Amino acid sequence: MVMVPIYGRFIGDFAAHLVAVDTEDTIADVAAKIAAHSVCRRLPAESAGSYEVLIDGRLIPPEVRVTQLSLRPLHWIDVRWKR
Amino acid sequence: MRLLSRDDWYEISHDLDWTLSYVEESDAFPAEWTGSSGVPKAAWQAWEEPFRVSYRDYVGVQREKEAGVAGVRDALKRAHIYEHLDPAVAAISHFHMGALCMVEQMAVTMLGRFARFAPSPRWRNISVFGMLDELRHAQLQLSFSHDLLKHDPRFDWCQKAFHTNEWGILAIRNFCDDWLLNANCVDAALAVHLTLEHGFTNMQFVALAADAMEAGDIGFSNLLSSIQTDEARHAQQGFPTLEILMKHDPQRAQRVIDVSFWRAFRLFQAMTGTAMDYYTPVDKRKMSFKEFMLEWVVDQHERTLRDYGLERPWYWETFLKCLDHGHHALHLGMWFWRPTLFWKPNAGVSRAERQWLNSKYPDWEESWGVLWDEIIRNINNGDMAKTLPDTLPALCNLTQLPIGTHWDRHHLERCESTYDGRTYYFDSDVSKWCFDLEPARYAGHLNVVDRFVSGLIQPPNLGGALAWMGITPEVMGDDVYNYRWAAEFNRPATRDT
Repeated sequence: MVMVPIYGRFIGDFAAHLVAVDTEDTIADVAAKIAAHSVCRRLPAESAGSYEVLIDGRLIPPEVRVTQLSLRPLHWIDVRWKR
Repeated sequence: MRLLSRDDWYEISHDLDWTLSYVEESDAFPAEWTGSSGVPKAAWQAWEEPFRVSYRDYVGVQREKEAGVAGVRDALKRAHIYEHLDPAVAAISHFHMGALCMVEQMAVTMLGRFARFAPSPRWRNISVFGMLDELRHAQLQLSFSHDLLKHDPRFDWCQKAFHTNEWGILAIRNFCDDWLLNANCVDAALAVHLTLEHGFTNMQFVALAADAMEAGDIGFSNLLSSIQTDEARHAQQGFPTLEILMKHDPQRAQRVIDVSFWRAFRLFQAMTGTAMDYYTPVDKRKMSFKEFMLEWVVDQHERTLRDYGLERPWYWETFLKCLDHGHHALHLGMWFWRPTLFWKPNAGVSRAERQWLNSKYPDWEESWGVLWDEIIRNINNGDMAKTLPDTLPALCNLTQLPIGTHWDRHHLERCESTYDGRTYYFDSDVSKWCFDLEPARYAGHLNVVDRFVSGLIQPPNLGGALAWMGITPEVMGDDVYNYRWAAEFNRPATRDT
């Protein structure tokens, strides 16, 4: 288990954030960690809403773990509401 | 004996120079400092002062200005004006004293460099007066703040701010280290005199002085006006430099002005945009930041470009669109990360204020109101933790400002460059362009997030970051009206709001 600092942006919010993720986190965990800085703080929650994650423009399945990705420090990760 | 009049001796004295024999010209005036590479030495003989002044004239005029400021200062002390100021108006002076006083002191160093290394004796002579101007500005702000220190410890930050790592101050210092302290004379004259002073601060001081006077902060208004009279004079020194560079290296002139204009604008969004559109009481505002920029900065900058044969910057359309948004983003960010400030920000989003914002910025509600609505909901539900940050925002490696604050939330794009194996992030394609033009100039610098991630800030949490920034409990930012403005959103809106 190793902490990896990334830049997380929840699409629709006005800022991206420094977020610490763990190599054992799933992408669903990462999405929740990024969303926690935006949703219910500046963006309203969406009932029954769930998230999806884009890294370098690619949609990443929620079950993938961080350790399976080649993330560099401060890698940029986008999260958005699942359409 | 009758003193000679200025015109009897000026023509001789302003060309006072030495023919060097013991040292090489290039050792006494290294091109790295003069900035005269690409311009023949003889070309500098055409450098004409935009104004003429002798030491005797200068001292006489400045003495009168000082007497005027001192008179107002004494009268205000007796009238206890500061104690009756709206707290949001007082916050403007806390912010501006901390943000600007040491910039004036850095300008002393820059003008001292001009007085020694500028490639024309006329330029060197006239810079001595500019140096004295800037000394006066720094000292005025320190003495003004010293008077008010007994009312608020935040005035200590007039001197202290630039000796801390407060993130906003680091952004200003980054610009000033680059252009005021390290650029050669020619580049610095274009970036600072022509762009920052003539283009922005000169006008900013006019606007803020007017707003401050209207809001009752007579001392701050008087201080700004007195400084502005000096700025208006010495800022003109950029024009003869531009005129010569346009004949010999117009591409360089265009580059320096385009880069410094963008960087100065980003800082103005943070400082002037927030003060004009959020901190000044709504009934005291004379114009919006956008209106002010269009009337006083944009027109003037376009005129300068046109008069000297320069093109508009390639990013002009982006810049104009950013006028509608970027300072709202910076304001929201500064308010949300308020514990990282040394002043108390005013949210400025009561119903009446929102009505004003929507009248000036038709997209405000859709871009910014929705974000404030969630904050207001949390305040009114007593969930204050959700109105405060748990982490740092992503920061631009050029401007040092939060990524996402140049425009609006719909234009937050990932912008990055890789140089020497490291990835650098930027707040906009314009900042990325600035970096890509001269990557070695900026590479290697660590912004606050980079330092946090590198373990240079301990303990590695928000408390550690605040301690590293020098923020102490007695100055730590909080909502200036203690959130009272949010209560009206618990009630239905009346028809006129």
